[in-house]
Amino acid sequence: MNYVPNKGKETAEMLKAAGVASFDELFASVKPKLARKLNLSPPKSELELAGHMLELSGKNTLLKNFVGAGSYDHYIPSAVAHITSRSEFYTAYTPYQAEVSQGTLQVIYEFQSYMCLLTGMDVSNASMYDGASATAEAAFIACDITERSEIAVLNKLNPNYEKVLRTYCESRGVKITGELTQKSACVLVQNPDFEGNVHELEEFANRAHEAGALLVVSVAEPTSLAILKAPGECGADVVAGEAQGFGNPVSFGGPMLGYIAVKKDFVKRIPGRLCGMTTDSRGKKGFVLTLQAREQHIRRERASCNICSNEALCALAATAYLALMGKTGLANVAKLSYERAHELQKKLGELGFALQNTKPFYNEFAVKCPIKPKKLIAALEKRGIAAGLGIGEDRILICCTEKLSEQDVEDYVNVVRGLL
Amino acid sequence: MKLIFEQSGKNSEYVPESKAVLREPFGRKELPIPDLGEVQVIRHYTKLSTLNYGVDSGFYPLGSCTMKYNPKINEDVARLPGFAALHPLTPEKSSQGALEMMYELEKDLCEITGMDAFSLQPAAGAHGELTSVMIARKHFGKKRSKILIPDTAHGTNPASGAMCGFGMVTIKSNSRGNIDLDELGKAMTEDVAMLMITNPNTLGLFEEEITKIADIVHAKGGLLYCDGANMNAMMGITRPGDAGFDIMHLNLHKSFSTPHGGGGPGAGPVGVKKFLENYLPVPRVVKGGDRYSLNWKVKGSIGKVGPFFGNFGVLVKAYTYIKAVGPELKLVSEAAVLNANYLMRKLQPHYDLPYDRICAHEFVLTSKKQNEKGVHTMDIAKRLLDYGHHAPTIYFPLVVPEALMIEPTETEPKEKLDEFADSMIKIANEPPELVKSAPVTTPVGRLDGVAAARQPNLRWSNE
Ligand SMILES: Cc1ncc(COP(=O)(O)O)c(C=O)c1O
Repeated sequence: MNYVPNKGKETAEMLKAAGVASFDELFASVKPKLARKLNLSPPKSELELAGHMLELSGKNTLLKNFVGAGSYDHYIPSAVAHITSRSEFYTAYTPYQAEVSQGTLQVIYEFQSYMCLLTGMDVSNASMYDGASATAEAAFIACDITERSEIAVLNKLNPNYEKVLRTYCESRGVKITGELTQKSACVLVQNPDFEGNVHELEEFANRAHEAGALLVVSVAEPTSLAILKAPGECGADVVAGEAQGFGNPVSFGGPMLGYIAVKKDFVKRIPGRLCGMTTDSRGKKGFVLTLQAREQHIRRERASCNICSNEALCALAATAYLALMGKTGLANVAKLSYERAHELQKKLGELGFALQNTKPFYNEFAVKCPIKPKKLIAALEKRGIAAGLGIGEDRILICCTEKLSEQDVEDYVNVVRGLL
Repeated sequence: MKLIFEQSGKNSEYVPESKAVLREPFGRKELPIPDLGEVQVIRHYTKLSTLNYGVDSGFYPLGSCTMKYNPKINEDVARLPGFAALHPLTPEKSSQGALEMMYELEKDLCEITGMDAFSLQPAAGAHGELTSVMIARKHFGKKRSKILIPDTAHGTNPASGAMCGFGMVTIKSNSRGNIDLDELGKAMTEDVAMLMITNPNTLGLFEEEITKIADIVHAKGGLLYCDGANMNAMMGITRPGDAGFDIMHLNLHKSFSTPHGGGGPGAGPVGVKKFLENYLPVPRVVKGGDRYSLNWKVKGSIGKVGPFFGNFGVLVKAYTYIKAVGPELKLVSEAAVLNANYLMRKLQPHYDLPYDRICAHEFVLTSKKQNEKGVHTMDIAKRLLDYGHHAPTIYFPLVVPEALMIEPTETEPKEKLDEFADSMIKIANEPPELVKSAPVTTPVGRLDGVAAARQPNLRWSNE
């Protein structure tokens, strides 16, 4: 099956009209030619393909998820996929031709608005690849503004975010430090941090600003914004984060949905697409991609970031999700996630797990295990439960969302009790 | 149309109600987003979708973007719970299917491109470029400080190089639209880390002297990089790995049929020759016996460029496509190149064709002839919208003034190409006032981009 609609008759006509006798002539200047057939499995009919893919997906086992650590398994209303399945949305390119892209453009504008309302920032971009690279890019905004080249990471970042940050910084010649100095471009904190602790952002903001640095806040679990004070109200200058948890499936870690939101003064430093409202030749309201002089296709090697395609369809899913959930639904999601996590933490504490969180936590927490985390994880996997992420020798990071019921928490605890 | 924020209603119950009363710091006072009923939301976004134009709506000849048809089954399989509901930190034993898919996809991409190893981690083409430049940085350390690009390069190429601190040097193209070998010879010194080229290039022309180019670069110890955005022209016909490229990226959202989503998500896997393999991002998927696992311990890796393993959902779609087509990928590229050449010859009498030679999967025209009547490329693009087509890529590549870059792709039937050609030819002969007032049939008229940038309105606010 190759999805080519032209038949032999048309092909012959077209070769003739193109002024060549054969495909060989069409590719005459191409060197070096591959002299053999590609060694790929033979073409499949759709029937065979469907069977093959079902079989392959069946080799994965879906577990009850008590794992988060950067990918959050929240309930997705059925309507979200129906909206993202509108092929006028998903088969379109980046909205360069605004007159036939008002759908995508208004969605981006609404996404930007939602992210601003949730983070308390003034401007958000149309999306970045993921929260990890967005966090690195956000730190570079601070380097750009302050003309400094050190980043002070002052709490525990998700290790995958930290790894991405390291990779980005290494190639750019930016230094990561654990302390705030006069050379720091920013204080970078994650909230909640990797182990779930919720921090007082005001304190970080004051310290950063006193040192002439910016405060960059990274948010990996977007539903936390529903019940936490907005980072923008706590003095954050840049917020970078992940919005996969809004309406996008965990999908083995991708696609994700990064974003960067900034205070008004920094709008010209924000990377990626921005959509703005304007009017058309008939005086009617409409939307366009704007402030493009920041971007690679105009600025080329002087652009601060190279991003082109981003995660527009995931941003549509997030926008639809937020529209469907509304403030009431989103608050319920966050409260239920909070409740389940606190229930489980309490029960594990009663079983002798040492609680590790030094501050209030939202839906993710760390415990010290009386038995090896590896053993615990393997035992729960056998019972259909993803127990959490082992961290270090003897600790485990556990996450709950509203998808887990009270019974699920009970089942988890019962299996654990049997192991002790 | 109203914004979603300008509507109100009662929210549907998607999750149970929680009675929990949370204490500080969890007492967020204000969450200024509206509650709405499901029907309101569905109607709002359905209406918005009708203001859009996608590949399913009609012809989408957006050059450099490979807007081929996106098979529906790919969408369905990516949504299978066994893939979509699988958490990335699921223990390996329970994620064998996902790991197998990635392993197989890497293998197939190696076969298609002639490279020795692939990483699926980069999330888009530009991300793949950045990953590759990071690899060059790691390979050379501070020893080499420059990267060469041709003047036809896509904007992401110079931006990616500059992000890693390289000085970007532009090489002029010759009169055939290819890299000028003399210019290259002069510029290719021992402080040049890499030559980044797109092949076929953004003029839609194959580099005729690709092996000589490779020799010049390699003689000075540099790396040869292929921006594989245009892979759709050469699958099964020639392989970058055989032509002397050391490193490349692919755009799975172009050549391998995954939809563009209105601007992503894409996937930009990076392929390398053996001697660069250990630089690839971690973790790598490995196979031992019948078991697949993730290897984090690779000495020399640049590290991570994304939080997990790449845009997995997109990878599933590309894998599905490759399994559907198999070795017939060659027919795909043949048809893509034939469609482009057919259309080019049909339009040549009516539009200026700056490089008159057999093209690859796309070609570049200019509106030089129409400029004399005061009609510009922008006008032609907008007029095409009135005829029910999407516009080509315009004003790119930068070396061609008033460029119209047309890429029909292989999934268009001849009748569609004829229809488009008819529209283009009609436009060439229409009164300038008519063309300049386009579009008139679209949901909105030409938008005031200048005002949008002067007084940016980038969000709704409740104030
Ligand atoms: C030649 C070329 N290189 C690189 C890119 C960047 O790809 P992406 O948008 O996936 O980052 C594009 C796409 O626009 C392209 O056409």
